[in-house]
Amino acid sequence: MKYFFYQLKKSPLAIIGIAIIVFWLIAAAVGPSMISYTYTQMDSMNQMVAPGEYGHLLGTDSLGRDILARIVYGSRSILTVALLTSMVSTLLGILLGFSAGYFGGKVDTAFLRTMDILMAIPPLVLSMVILGILGNSSIVSLTIIVSIAFIPATARVSRGVLLTEKSQEYVSAARIRGENHLYIMFVEILPNTTGPIIVEATARFAYSIMMVASLGFLGVGLQPPTPDWGMMVIENKPVIAQAPWTVLFPALAIASLVIAISIFSDFVSKVLIHER
Amino acid sequence: MKRLVEIFLRRLGSLLATLVVMSFIIFLLVEIMPGDVAQMILGQSATEESVAALREARGLNDPLLERYGRWISGVVVGDLGESVYMKGVSINSILWRKVGHSVILAMTAFIIFVPLSIFFGVLAGVKEKKPIDSIISFFGLATMALPEFVSGVILITVFAVQLKWFPIVSVLPIGESIWQNLNIVILPALSITLVMFGYISRMQRSSMISVMNSDYIRAATLKGMPRKYVIFRHALKNAMLPTITIIGMNMGWLFGGLVVVETLFGFPGMGSLLMTGIKTRDVPLIEACVLLITIIYSVSTMITDIMYSYLNPRIRFQGGQK
Amino acid sequence: MNDNILEIENLHVRFSTFDGLFSAVNNVSFNLGYNESIGIIGESGCGKSTLAFTIMRYLASNAQVEGAIRFKDKNLLENSEKEMESVRGNRIAMVFQNPYSSLNPSLTIGFQLDEVGMHHQKLNKAKARKATIEALEMMNLGDPKGIVRRYPHQVSGGIQQRICIAMALLCKPDLMILDEPTTALDVTTEAVILDSIAELRDRLSMSMIYISHDIGVINKVSENIVVMYSGEIVESGPKQQIFENPVHPYTRALINCMPRGGVVKEKTKLNTIPGYVKKRGTDEGGCPFADRCDKKNDTCISEYGIKKIEGTHFAACNRAYAEDIPDKLKVRLTPKKRKNDPDFDIEHNLLKLEDVHKVYGTRRKVYAVNGIDFAVKPHSILGIVGESGCGKSTTGHMVSGLFPPSKGRVIFEDTDISIAWNKRNKETLKNIQLIFQNPGRSLNPSHTVEKIIGRTMQKLANINDKNERRKKIIDILRKVDLGKEYLEKKPPQLSGGEQQRVAIARSLSISPNLIVCDEPTSALDVSVQASVLNLLNDLQVDTHVAYLFISHDLNVINYLSDYIMVMYAGKIVEYGKRDEVMENWHHPYTEALLSAVPEVDPTKQKEIIELEGMLPDPTKKVKGCPFAGRCHKQVGEICEKEYPPMVRLSEDHYYFCHIKP
Repeated sequence: MKYFFYQLKKSPLAIIGIAIIVFWLIAAAVGPSMISYTYTQMDSMNQMVAPGEYGHLLGTDSLGRDILARIVYGSRSILTVALLTSMVSTLLGILLGFSAGYFGGKVDTAFLRTMDILMAIPPLVLSMVILGILGNSSIVSLTIIVSIAFIPATARVSRGVLLTEKSQEYVSAARIRGENHLYIMFVEILPNTTGPIIVEATARFAYSIMMVASLGFLGVGLQPPTPDWGMMVIENKPVIAQAPWTVLFPALAIASLVIAISIFSDFVSKVLIHER
Repeated sequence: MKRLVEIFLRRLGSLLATLVVMSFIIFLLVEIMPGDVAQMILGQSATEESVAALREARGLNDPLLERYGRWISGVVVGDLGESVYMKGVSINSILWRKVGHSVILAMTAFIIFVPLSIFFGVLAGVKEKKPIDSIISFFGLATMALPEFVSGVILITVFAVQLKWFPIVSVLPIGESIWQNLNIVILPALSITLVMFGYISRMQRSSMISVMNSDYIRAATLKGMPRKYVIFRHALKNAMLPTITIIGMNMGWLFGGLVVVETLFGFPGMGSLLMTGIKTRDVPLIEACVLLITIIYSVSTMITDIMYSYLNPRIRFQGGQK
Repeated sequence: MNDNILEIENLHVRFSTFDGLFSAVNNVSFNLGYNESIGIIGESGCGKSTLAFTIMRYLASNAQVEGAIRFKDKNLLENSEKEMESVRGNRIAMVFQNPYSSLNPSLTIGFQLDEVGMHHQKLNKAKARKATIEALEMMNLGDPKGIVRRYPHQVSGGIQQRICIAMALLCKPDLMILDEPTTALDVTTEAVILDSIAELRDRLSMSMIYISHDIGVINKVSENIVVMYSGEIVESGPKQQIFENPVHPYTRALINCMPRGGVVKEKTKLNTIPGYVKKRGTDEGGCPFADRCDKKNDTCISEYGIKKIEGTHFAACNRAYAEDIPDKLKVRLTPKKRKNDPDFDIEHNLLKLEDVHKVYGTRRKVYAVNGIDFAVKPHSILGIVGESGCGKSTTGHMVSGLFPPSKGRVIFEDTDISIAWNKRNKETLKNIQLIFQNPGRSLNPSHTVEKIIGRTMQKLANINDKNERRKKIIDILRKVDLGKEYLEKKPPQLSGGEQQRVAIARSLSISPNLIVCDEPTSALDVSVQASVLNLLNDLQVDTHVAYLFISHDLNVINYLSDYIMVMYAGKIVEYGKRDEVMENWHHPYTEALLSAVPEVDPTKQKEIIELEGMLPDPTKKVKGCPFAGRCHKQVGEICEKEYPPMVRLSEDHYYFCHIKP
């Protein structure tokens, strides 16, 4: 922890990244109560109002809805889904990857084969096809499908980390005092793998945002009227020439959040890897 | 050489196995789709009898495995079936032209991002912790997880809306081929390039750094070899080996990206076709597109795998004395 | 002209790290004459490698260097990078510890040697290749034309290192620096390489700096020795004088701590140095060894500095023979004597292995152990010695149950335990314990010492009360000379020696009957190794536990064992009581192994038996004697065709060879 702050002091970029993440978390938590518009309210007199005019700080979209309100409300859903997915996919990844790597042999071969097959469909294509077929995506279905699409990646990372630890002699020592498999996996090995797993989880958080936003953009994410950053972009794409802000602001919102999380994840990996 | 043939055959075997399983999964996926295909073809106003008759005629009442067998045996001889939404249009007649467009788009992106990300990755790795490294690393970090449509929107705003260098939408005028309209490819290709650049340049950088810190680079330097020579002759090949695998594995992201980018630009490719298929619930079209993406992706990872084995003497000359 | 090819003057190297500035090389000065060979000796972390890399001007960016390194009267520290390139590999060449990672895996061996001549001497490709072949021939490598076409991973470790030395020789350098070139290799391979280095010195006029942690090795290749401790030179001089009249307490400790020259546990207890090497900050002055020295007084800080003893013999201390303190290192410590135990039954076997085999892998088979029979008597120590790949660790792991044998039976106290840990009962798991080579890896880094030892007690000795357990843990920690304060510590906070003590405490905490010790001291520094060996011996005398002691180090095996078993390529070659094997060996491999062990006393150098060739391919079954291909006493075709019979010399001494006694 001391090393974390020591590195933080030396890294202004990481401070900015953390600040942006905190900003969005606060926006999602208390933002809606501070904005005078709601995300569905249409100001039919003021469609495509430029930023700053008529009390619309970031302007309005083609239907006259306040962009700031939609962005702030939209931050809730995307943060919720992305956080849930990164956690669920990491946990499932640990479970699967650990079991495969720990037991090895046939279990491992079966695992690797399955992952090979799952990976043969790009994760985005897989989720969009399933979500598109099922229709009417909700936070739950979105989380489940995206997590499944991410499992090959997270499970492989967990498996790799486990394999390096498994060859350590403390695992052999635990075996020959008769510990059971679960104890060895989760009491002996798991505490020593937290570093790489946290790094993977934070990187996964950034990818989750990317994926959820892309699915929203493709129209198979959360359905209207729930505001979704990705959907805001595609909805207003036809008017990009007349009112670029209608697409630019949601795009910048996504960009700022994704970049901030990437910076944070990079920083975390720097700290955790050097600490070892 | 014998060893390479062995690797090739083994990979080919697992590729075929993957495709068989995959095609079945794709078939199953579409099966779970709510709604009745026959109903969809005939429209809401159709009578129950006519729906039942069509079901019978198309064999929709047959057992699952039988239907799968019929579909896959069609696929093997190149018959992808008929589109449900565009009644009576064979998928072959619309798919391949769009696949061609997508391939041009993907290749353009590929030709831009591969040399670019390797070059800057190596540069950053060699200049570790210097300002140039910080700039490249930050740029890579920023674009690594940036959705293609976000970078696409930014590119459109700058190059299409403000500078007007390129069209805002990449629509192909009717009757013209893509070769006459290459300017519609540039912005979509650049959006894909950014994401790939971020990821691959960072991977290239870290593998370059670990190679530069290896014992054999130290040994080569202490043999008195000049730094440039050490980098080009000793480090580069070893540092690029893992990148080949990384590029292969990321072809998946690239195809996911294609769907997004084609939707954003309205580019007439396979991705937007798949999107249309999903929106119109066009079962045979979805099946054909997903299967094709799977095949292209699997084949490209296989190619990178074999390239890796060929370039790595530790695999090429396995065995011998040790 | 100056007599010295290399003069190092007041050299300081400091590194700035997160924990602050620390000093890696501190005020080092020494000279190296033309054709002179200097051996630099010291334990890990004493700065000897840093010194070598400073001479080559190859340091990390956080290093600060001060002082002068004059090579042929030119200060290397003032050279430009370009000028250094023409020195490196050309006038000063270096050989590294790990040959495998020092060769580029994706380039052929020939390419990597040719480029040196092509670059430094501007030779064309054909001439460079000719020079390459000559250099390889000089290192006695057969078939150099075949070797140049190969990739590094296609030749064995010993050959890789000889290739690296040949590479260093290409430009006929004035100075060659060898940084622990044989540490990663087996002792018989080491002997061959040391021999060819000595031979090179006779043939070429070349100065040499040889870095090692092993005085015995340095004895073979250098006349003069520099002893380093914690970044400083504490003593330097001719090897004979240093050995006979060591002046610095550290040098004396180093020489006295090693079990060597036939020292055995019944007669001698090893001398030890308390503590361990610590990193030094730049602000600390005085003798770096003071906190471990039993002879320290106030002058260690105030009057510290290099003093001339006589001739070229210098030392930073003269208190080694100080009269005011009894000389602890000179004292012959009496070892704990084994009491005669009335229950001791010599006929009874604690552990017995019958025709045990181990084959790894299913598709690509590796034959690790190929049929061995032996027994361990209660209350005794059986030492298994052999080189890497001989199957000694595999044997230990089968006994302790990490995996079952592929064939044959392991019998412990009349029960068949040829099964893996998950099928063994608690009683067996408790009675057979295992101590690993690397204590840092055998203790879970995220658990406390209390949890590490306590869990074993809870699991195998059914001590479930937390307070009772803690009391017993404190007891057992005291037995391994660790205090109560260690309970809450985690392994990364401990030194290597302390970690191994915790591991020993863990094994002893449940009073087992047999402890398998798998190279327990080879990851430790010499000064720490001695105290662990003493501890293992004392505990064995007290508790009557039996050891199956596995090591590659014959000196250690000789010191501790009652019986010795020599293994080669998965087979037993000789077995017997310690003195019988050590003094009356019969197998040619035992002979070669004994001859290869480096001798610390410079006056007692012996003729070594050079083994050529390499271990038989472990993926193939060997029909004849596994040692036949390398044997210097091969009798004929029979050796390769027929597995040799057992020749029994006495009840407890036998060997496997076609040569009759």
